[in-house]
Amino acid sequence: MWWKSASVILLVYAIIAGLVVPLKPGIDHVTPDSAATGKRFDLEVHGYNTWYTRGKSTDIRAWLQYDSLRAIAGTDIRVLSDTTLQVSFDIPSTLPNEGESAMLNLIVSHPTDGVSLLPSAVEVELDTAHTSSAANWTDHPIENLHVVRDFSYPYRNVIYETIRNTYFHVPMWFALMFMFLTSVIYSIRYLNHPNEADDRRAVAFTETGLLFGLLGLTTGMLWAHYAWGKAWSNDIKQLMTAVALLVYAAYFILRASFDEPEKGARLGAVYNIFAFASLVPLLYIVPRLFASLHPGATGNPAFGSQDLDNTMRLVFYPSIIGFVLLGVWIAQIRFRILRLQQIADDQD
Amino acid sequence: MKFFKLLQFLTLILLLVVNLQPLQAQGNRDFMRETGKIYVVTGVILIIFAGIVLYLVRLDKKLTNIEHQLKEGKNE
Repeated sequence: MWWKSASVILLVYAIIAGLVVPLKPGIDHVTPDSAATGKRFDLEVHGYNTWYTRGKSTDIRAWLQYDSLRAIAGTDIRVLSDTTLQVSFDIPSTLPNEGESAMLNLIVSHPTDGVSLLPSAVEVELDTAHTSSAANWTDHPIENLHVVRDFSYPYRNVIYETIRNTYFHVPMWFALMFMFLTSVIYSIRYLNHPNEADDRRAVAFTETGLLFGLLGLTTGMLWAHYAWGKAWSNDIKQLMTAVALLVYAAYFILRASFDEPEKGARLGAVYNIFAFASLVPLLYIVPRLFASLHPGATGNPAFGSQDLDNTMRLVFYPSIIGFVLLGVWIAQIRFRILRLQQIADDQD
Repeated sequence: MKFFKLLQFLTLILLLVVNLQPLQAQGNRDFMRETGKIYVVTGVILIIFAGIVLYLVRLDKKLTNIEHQLKEGKNE
Protein backbone atom coordinates (compact mmCIF):
# COMPACT_ATOMS: atom_id res chain seq x y z
CA MET A 1 0.00 0.00 0.00
CA TRP A 2 1.29 3.43 -0.98
CA TRP A 3 0.61 5.04 2.39
CA LYS A 4 2.75 2.50 4.21
CA SER A 5 5.73 3.40 2.02
CA ALA A 6 4.80 7.06 2.45
CA SER A 7 5.00 6.75 6.23
CA VAL A 8 8.45 5.17 6.04
CA ILE A 9 9.74 7.75 3.55
CA LEU A 10 8.37 10.65 5.58
CA LEU A 11 9.83 9.33 8.83
CA VAL A 12 13.25 8.65 7.29
CA TYR A 13 13.15 12.18 5.87
CA ALA A 14 12.15 13.62 9.25
CA ILE A 15 14.92 11.79 11.11
CA ILE A 16 17.62 12.73 8.59
CA ALA A 17 16.54 16.34 8.04
CA GLY A 18 15.76 16.70 11.73
CA LEU A 19 19.28 15.71 12.71
CA VAL A 20 21.41 17.05 9.85
CA VAL A 21 20.27 20.67 9.51
CA PRO A 22 22.37 22.85 11.87
CA LEU A 23 21.19 25.31 14.48
CA LYS A 24 21.53 29.04 13.85
CA PRO A 25 24.60 30.57 15.48
CA GLY A 26 23.78 31.80 18.97
CA ILE A 27 25.33 33.14 22.16
CA ASP A 28 25.85 30.52 24.84
CA HIS A 29 27.02 32.75 27.70
CA VAL A 30 29.08 35.84 28.51
CA THR A 31 31.68 36.59 31.15
CA PRO A 32 31.37 38.57 33.32
CA ASP A 33 27.60 38.74 33.62
CA SER A 34 27.50 41.90 35.70
CA ALA A 35 28.90 45.44 35.38
CA ALA A 36 28.71 48.83 37.09
CA THR A 37 27.53 52.15 35.69
CA GLY A 38 29.96 54.83 34.59
CA LYS A 39 32.75 52.39 33.75
CA ARG A 40 34.22 50.76 30.71
CA PHE A 41 34.19 46.98 30.86
CA ASP A 42 35.31 44.12 28.69
CA LEU A 43 32.83 41.43 27.86
CA GLU A 44 33.80 37.99 26.62
CA VAL A 45 31.13 36.48 24.39
CA HIS A 46 30.99 32.71 24.02
CA GLY A 47 29.15 31.65 20.91
CA TYR A 48 27.47 28.41 19.95
CA ASN A 49 27.75 27.18 16.35
CA THR A 50 29.43 30.47 15.48
CA TRP A 51 32.18 31.21 12.95
CA TYR A 52 33.41 34.53 14.29
CA THR A 53 36.70 34.35 12.35
CA ARG A 54 34.85 34.40 9.04
CA GLY A 55 34.41 37.92 7.75
CA LYS A 56 36.19 41.06 8.90
CA SER A 57 36.12 41.74 12.62
CA THR A 58 35.41 45.41 11.90
CA ASP A 59 32.09 44.35 10.38
CA ILE A 60 30.98 42.71 13.61
CA ARG A 61 28.74 44.86 15.78
CA ALA A 62 27.48 44.33 19.29
CA TRP A 63 24.99 46.08 21.55
CA LEU A 64 23.85 45.84 25.13
CA GLN A 65 20.18 46.60 24.87
CA TYR A 66 17.69 47.69 27.50
CA ASP A 67 14.66 48.23 25.28
CA SER A 68 13.88 49.20 21.70
CA LEU A 69 15.11 52.75 22.28
CA ARG A 70 17.96 52.37 24.73
CA ALA A 71 21.14 50.48 23.91
CA ILE A 72 24.88 50.94 24.05
CA ALA A 73 27.16 49.88 21.23
CA GLY A 74 30.23 47.78 21.81
CA THR A 75 33.59 49.10 20.69
CA ASP A 76 36.97 47.55 19.96
CA ILE A 77 35.62 44.13 19.00
CA ARG A 78 38.32 41.43 18.98
CA VAL A 79 37.81 37.96 17.59
CA LEU A 80 39.65 35.47 19.80
CA SER A 81 38.38 32.32 18.13
CA ASP A 82 35.44 31.01 16.15
CA THR A 83 33.41 30.90 19.32
CA THR A 84 34.90 33.73 21.39
CA LEU A 85 34.62 37.48 21.00
CA GLN A 86 35.84 40.28 23.21
CA VAL A 87 33.85 43.51 23.25
CA SER A 88 34.27 46.70 25.28
CA PHE A 89 31.33 48.71 26.47
CA ASP A 90 31.20 52.21 27.95
CA ILE A 91 28.38 52.04 30.44
CA PRO A 92 26.63 55.41 31.01
CA SER A 93 26.69 56.76 34.55
CA THR A 94 22.95 56.44 34.99
CA LEU A 95 20.65 53.47 34.63
CA PRO A 96 17.99 53.40 31.91
CA ASN A 97 15.38 52.69 34.58
CA GLU A 98 14.66 53.97 38.06
CA GLY A 99 16.18 51.21 40.11
CA GLU A 100 19.30 49.73 41.56
CA SER A 101 20.10 47.59 38.55
CA ALA A 102 19.02 46.83 35.00
CA MET A 103 19.12 43.65 32.95
CA LEU A 104 20.54 44.09 29.44
CA ASN A 105 20.24 41.85 26.42
CA LEU A 106 23.27 41.24 24.27
CA ILE A 107 22.90 41.51 20.51
CA VAL A 108 25.72 40.49 18.19
CA SER A 109 25.51 41.12 14.46
CA HIS A 110 28.03 39.21 12.36
CA PRO A 111 28.39 39.51 8.56
CA THR A 112 28.17 35.75 7.91
CA ASP A 113 26.56 34.39 11.09
CA GLY A 114 23.79 36.97 11.19
CA VAL A 115 22.16 38.34 14.31
CA SER A 116 22.19 36.50 17.61
CA LEU A 117 20.71 37.54 20.93
CA LEU A 118 21.24 36.54 24.54
CA PRO A 119 18.36 37.74 26.72
CA SER A 120 19.29 39.16 30.15
CA ALA A 121 22.97 38.70 29.41
CA VAL A 122 24.43 41.38 31.69
CA GLU A 123 23.14 42.98 34.87
CA VAL A 124 24.26 46.57 35.32
CA GLU A 125 24.33 47.86 38.89
CA LEU A 126 24.12 51.52 39.85
CA ASP A 127 27.49 52.80 41.01
CA THR A 128 27.12 56.36 42.35
CA ALA A 129 30.89 56.80 42.69
CA HIS A 130 31.38 56.98 38.93
CA THR A 131 29.46 59.78 37.27
CA SER A 132 32.02 60.91 34.73
CA SER A 133 31.00 58.76 31.74
CA ALA A 134 29.96 60.74 28.70
CA ALA A 135 28.10 57.77 27.22
CA ASN A 136 24.37 57.94 26.88
CA TRP A 137 21.72 55.22 26.61
CA THR A 138 20.17 56.67 23.47
CA ASP A 139 23.39 57.36 21.56
CA HIS A 140 23.56 54.10 19.62
CA PRO A 141 20.34 52.84 18.17
CA ILE A 142 20.40 49.27 16.87
CA GLU A 143 20.39 49.47 13.10
CA ASN A 144 21.93 47.99 9.97
CA LEU A 145 21.79 44.45 11.28
CA HIS A 146 23.27 41.73 9.12
CA VAL A 147 20.36 39.72 7.84
CA VAL A 148 21.57 36.25 6.83
CA ARG A 149 19.22 33.83 5.15
CA ASP A 150 20.21 30.22 5.65
CA PHE A 151 18.63 26.85 6.17
CA SER A 152 18.86 26.28 9.90
CA TYR A 153 16.78 25.76 13.02
CA PRO A 154 16.33 28.50 15.63
CA TYR A 155 18.82 28.70 18.46
CA ARG A 156 17.33 28.82 21.97
CA ASN A 157 19.26 28.92 25.20
CA VAL A 158 18.78 26.01 27.61
CA ILE A 159 17.18 23.75 25.01
CA TYR A 160 19.91 24.10 22.33
CA GLU A 161 19.86 21.08 19.99
CA THR A 162 16.87 19.53 21.72
CA ILE A 163 14.67 21.86 19.65
CA ARG A 164 14.89 18.92 17.21
CA ASN A 165 12.69 16.94 19.60
CA THR A 166 9.83 18.98 18.14
CA TYR A 167 9.92 16.55 15.21
CA PHE A 168 9.69 13.44 17.38
CA HIS A 169 8.01 14.23 20.69
CA VAL A 170 5.23 16.50 19.41
CA PRO A 171 4.03 14.21 16.54
CA MET A 172 3.39 11.53 19.20
CA TRP A 173 0.52 13.68 20.46
CA PHE A 174 -0.78 14.42 16.99
CA ALA A 175 -0.76 10.69 16.26
CA LEU A 176 -2.46 10.02 19.61
CA MET A 177 -5.22 12.52 18.83
CA PHE A 178 -5.74 10.98 15.40
CA MET A 179 -5.86 7.41 16.80
CA PHE A 180 -8.29 8.29 19.59
CA LEU A 181 -10.47 10.32 17.23
CA THR A 182 -10.67 7.43 14.74
CA SER A 183 -11.37 5.06 17.61
CA VAL A 184 -14.27 7.14 18.93
CA ILE A 185 -15.74 7.39 15.42
CA TYR A 186 -15.75 3.59 15.17
CA SER A 187 -17.26 3.35 18.65
CA ILE A 188 -20.12 5.64 17.61
CA ARG A 189 -20.60 3.58 14.46
CA TYR A 190 -20.67 0.45 16.60
CA LEU A 191 -23.37 1.89 18.85
CA ASN A 192 -25.49 2.81 15.83
CA HIS A 193 -25.11 -0.52 14.06
CA PRO A 194 -23.41 -3.12 16.26
CA ASN A 195 -20.91 -5.16 14.28
CA GLU A 196 -17.74 -6.83 15.46
CA ALA A 197 -15.47 -5.24 12.86
CA ASP A 198 -16.11 -1.68 14.07
CA ASP A 199 -15.59 -2.74 17.67
CA ARG A 200 -12.28 -4.35 16.78
CA ARG A 201 -11.21 -1.22 14.91
CA ALA A 202 -12.04 0.90 17.94
CA VAL A 203 -9.95 -1.39 20.16
CA ALA A 204 -7.03 -1.41 17.71
CA PHE A 205 -6.96 2.37 17.37
CA THR A 206 -7.28 2.94 21.12
CA GLU A 207 -4.39 0.59 21.80
CA THR A 208 -2.19 2.31 19.20
CA GLY A 209 -3.17 5.70 20.58
CA LEU A 210 -2.18 4.57 24.05
CA LEU A 211 1.18 3.39 22.69
CA PHE A 212 1.81 6.86 21.26
CA GLY A 213 0.68 8.41 24.54
CA LEU A 214 3.18 6.36 26.54
CA LEU A 215 5.95 7.19 24.06
CA GLY A 216 4.99 10.87 24.16
CA LEU A 217 5.04 10.91 27.94
CA THR A 218 8.39 9.08 28.19
CA THR A 219 10.10 11.21 25.55
CA GLY A 220 8.62 14.27 27.26
CA MET A 221 10.11 13.17 30.57
CA LEU A 222 13.55 12.69 29.02
CA TRP A 223 13.34 16.11 27.40
CA ALA A 224 12.04 17.67 30.64
CA HIS A 225 14.95 16.22 32.59
CA TYR A 226 17.38 18.22 30.49
CA ALA A 227 15.25 21.31 29.83
CA TRP A 228 13.28 21.78 33.07
CA GLY A 229 15.76 20.09 35.41
CA LYS A 230 13.52 17.23 36.52
CA ALA A 231 11.89 14.41 34.58
CA TRP A 232 8.68 14.74 36.57
CA SER A 233 8.03 18.14 38.08
CA ASN A 234 4.30 17.66 38.67
CA ASP A 235 3.70 20.17 35.94
CA ILE A 236 0.00 20.59 35.14
CA LYS A 237 0.56 19.40 31.56
CA GLN A 238 2.34 16.24 32.77
CA LEU A 239 -0.29 15.52 35.42
CA MET A 240 -3.28 16.01 33.13
CA THR A 241 -1.63 13.89 30.42
CA ALA A 242 -1.04 11.10 32.91
CA VAL A 243 -4.71 11.31 33.95
CA ALA A 244 -5.83 11.16 30.31
CA LEU A 245 -3.69 8.09 29.67
CA LEU A 246 -5.06 6.39 32.79
CA VAL A 247 -8.60 7.12 31.60
CA TYR A 248 -7.75 5.28 28.38
CA ALA A 249 -5.95 2.46 30.20
CA ALA A 250 -9.19 1.93 32.15
CA TYR A 251 -10.94 1.30 28.82
CA PHE A 252 -9.10 -2.01 28.46
CA ILE A 253 -9.68 -2.98 32.08
CA LEU A 254 -13.39 -2.25 31.64
CA ARG A 255 -13.63 -4.39 28.52
CA ALA A 256 -11.70 -7.26 30.06
CA SER A 257 -13.96 -7.31 33.13
CA PHE A 258 -16.97 -8.59 31.19
CA ASP A 259 -17.47 -12.28 30.54
CA GLU A 260 -19.77 -11.63 27.60
CA PRO A 261 -17.77 -9.95 24.83
CA GLU A 262 -20.84 -8.22 23.42
CA LYS A 263 -21.65 -6.46 26.67
CA GLY A 264 -18.01 -5.43 27.04
CA ALA A 265 -17.99 -4.09 23.50
CA ARG A 266 -21.13 -2.00 24.05
CA LEU A 267 -20.02 -0.54 27.37
CA GLY A 268 -16.52 -0.08 26.00
CA ALA A 269 -17.92 1.96 23.13
CA VAL A 270 -19.91 4.16 25.52
CA TYR A 271 -16.89 4.57 27.78
CA ASN A 272 -14.73 5.45 24.76
CA ILE A 273 -17.00 8.39 23.97
CA PHE A 274 -16.69 9.68 27.55
CA ALA A 275 -12.92 9.11 27.49
CA PHE A 276 -12.58 11.13 24.29
CA ALA A 277 -14.77 13.88 25.71
CA SER A 278 -12.40 14.16 28.66
CA LEU A 279 -9.25 13.95 26.53
CA VAL A 280 -9.46 17.40 24.93
CA PRO A 281 -9.97 19.32 28.20
CA LEU A 282 -7.28 17.26 29.93
CA LEU A 283 -4.64 17.73 27.25
CA TYR A 284 -5.42 21.16 25.86
CA ILE A 285 -7.74 23.20 28.07
CA VAL A 286 -6.90 22.59 31.73
CA PRO A 287 -3.09 22.97 31.25
CA ARG A 288 -3.68 26.42 29.78
CA LEU A 289 -5.52 27.61 32.86
CA PHE A 290 -2.54 27.11 35.15
CA ALA A 291 1.10 28.09 35.08
CA SER A 292 3.06 25.46 33.22
CA LEU A 293 6.61 24.96 32.05
CA HIS A 294 5.33 23.43 28.84
CA PRO A 295 5.15 25.65 25.74
CA GLY A 296 1.60 26.50 24.87
CA ALA A 297 0.67 27.17 28.49
CA THR A 298 -1.12 30.24 29.85
CA GLY A 299 -2.92 31.18 26.70
CA ASN A 300 -0.06 31.09 24.20
CA PRO A 301 -0.48 28.76 21.28
CA ALA A 302 2.22 26.09 21.38
CA PHE A 303 3.15 26.71 17.78
CA GLY A 304 3.49 30.46 17.67
CA SER A 305 6.33 32.02 15.75
CA GLN A 306 8.47 31.74 18.91
CA ASP A 307 8.56 27.96 18.85
CA LEU A 308 8.30 27.02 15.20
CA ASP A 309 9.77 28.83 12.23
CA ASN A 310 9.29 28.13 8.55
CA THR A 311 12.39 25.92 8.32
CA MET A 312 11.07 23.73 11.11
CA ARG A 313 7.66 23.43 9.45
CA LEU A 314 9.36 21.73 6.50
CA VAL A 315 10.29 18.84 8.79
CA PHE A 316 7.58 19.10 11.44
CA TYR A 317 4.54 18.57 9.21
CA PRO A 318 6.01 15.61 7.25
CA SER A 319 6.96 14.03 10.57
CA ILE A 320 3.38 14.36 11.86
CA ILE A 321 1.97 12.79 8.71
CA GLY A 322 4.60 10.04 8.87
CA PHE A 323 3.82 9.11 12.46
CA VAL A 324 0.05 9.23 11.88
CA LEU A 325 0.39 6.89 8.90
CA LEU A 326 2.67 4.59 10.91
CA GLY A 327 0.02 4.56 13.63
CA VAL A 328 -2.71 3.63 11.15
CA TRP A 329 -0.45 0.84 9.90
CA ILE A 330 0.14 -0.51 13.41
CA ALA A 331 -3.57 -0.22 14.23
CA GLN A 332 -4.42 -2.12 11.04
CA ILE A 333 -2.09 -4.96 12.02
CA ARG A 334 -3.62 -5.01 15.51
CA PHE A 335 -7.10 -5.12 13.94
CA ARG A 336 -6.15 -8.08 11.75
CA ILE A 337 -4.74 -9.94 14.75
CA LEU A 338 -8.01 -9.35 16.63
CA ARG A 339 -9.93 -10.76 13.64
CA LEU A 340 -7.66 -13.80 13.45
CA GLN A 341 -8.08 -14.32 17.18
CA GLN A 342 -11.85 -14.46 16.65
CA ILE A 343 -11.45 -17.02 13.85
CA ALA A 344 -9.18 -19.14 16.03
CA ASP A 345 -11.56 -18.89 18.98
CA ASP A 346 -14.56 -19.83 16.82
CA GLN A 347 -12.72 -22.90 15.58
CA ASP A 348 -12.25 -24.32 19.09
CA MET B 1 11.04 -14.92 18.77
CA LYS B 2 14.75 -15.46 19.20
CA PHE B 3 15.36 -12.63 16.78
CA PHE B 4 13.24 -10.25 18.84
CA LYS B 5 14.92 -11.26 22.07
CA LEU B 6 18.23 -10.55 20.36
CA LEU B 7 17.00 -7.19 19.12
CA GLN B 8 15.82 -6.24 22.59
CA PHE B 9 19.16 -7.23 24.00
CA LEU B 10 21.05 -5.28 21.33
CA THR B 11 18.98 -2.15 21.94
CA LEU B 12 19.77 -2.39 25.63
CA ILE B 13 23.49 -2.87 24.97
CA LEU B 14 23.46 0.04 22.51
CA LEU B 15 21.83 2.28 25.11
CA LEU B 16 24.39 1.27 27.74
CA VAL B 17 27.37 1.71 25.42
CA VAL B 18 26.13 5.04 24.15
CA ASN B 19 25.56 6.25 27.68
CA LEU B 20 28.59 4.90 29.46
CA GLN B 21 31.54 5.27 27.13
CA PRO B 22 31.86 9.05 27.04
CA LEU B 23 31.00 9.18 30.74
CA GLN B 24 34.01 7.10 31.56
CA ALA B 25 36.19 9.07 29.19
CA GLN B 26 35.30 12.41 30.71
CA GLY B 27 34.99 11.56 34.35
CA ASN B 28 31.95 13.03 36.04
CA ARG B 29 30.90 15.49 33.35
CA ASP B 30 27.32 15.03 32.24
CA PHE B 31 27.66 13.69 28.75
CA MET B 32 23.97 14.21 27.92
CA ARG B 33 24.52 17.96 28.34
CA GLU B 34 27.55 18.01 26.05
CA THR B 35 27.46 19.40 22.52
CA GLY B 36 24.21 21.25 22.88
CA LYS B 37 22.35 18.32 24.50
CA ILE B 38 22.19 16.53 21.14
CA TYR B 39 22.12 13.14 22.89
CA VAL B 40 18.73 14.02 24.39
CA VAL B 41 17.42 13.97 20.82
CA THR B 42 19.13 10.61 20.22
CA GLY B 43 17.52 9.35 23.42
CA VAL B 44 14.06 10.51 22.31
CA ILE B 45 14.43 8.75 18.95
CA LEU B 46 15.68 5.59 20.70
CA ILE B 47 12.74 5.62 23.12
CA ILE B 48 10.27 5.85 20.23
CA PHE B 49 12.08 3.11 18.33
CA ALA B 50 12.29 0.83 21.38
CA GLY B 51 8.63 1.46 22.24
CA ILE B 52 7.43 0.53 18.77
CA VAL B 53 9.70 -2.55 18.69
CA LEU B 54 8.41 -3.72 22.08
CA TYR B 55 4.85 -3.32 20.83
CA LEU B 56 5.74 -5.36 17.74
CA VAL B 57 7.16 -8.09 20.00
CA ARG B 58 3.81 -8.16 21.81
CA LEU B 59 1.89 -8.44 18.54
CA ASP B 60 4.28 -11.18 17.44
CA LYS B 61 3.52 -13.17 20.59
CA LYS B 62 -0.21 -12.84 19.97
CA LEU B 63 0.20 -14.11 16.44
CA THR B 64 2.26 -17.09 17.64
CA ASN B 65 -0.54 -17.99 20.06
CA ILE B 66 -3.14 -17.78 17.30
CA GLU B 67 -0.98 -19.96 15.05
CA HIS B 68 -0.74 -22.60 17.78
CA GLN B 69 -4.49 -22.41 18.36
CA LEU B 70 -5.22 -22.88 14.66
CA LYS B 71 -2.77 -25.79 14.39
CA GLU B 72 -4.35 -27.58 17.35
CA GLY B 73 -7.79 -27.03 15.85
CA LYS B 74 -6.74 -28.69 12.60
CA ASN B 75 -5.23 -31.71 14.34
CA GLU B 76 -8.39 -32.47 16.30
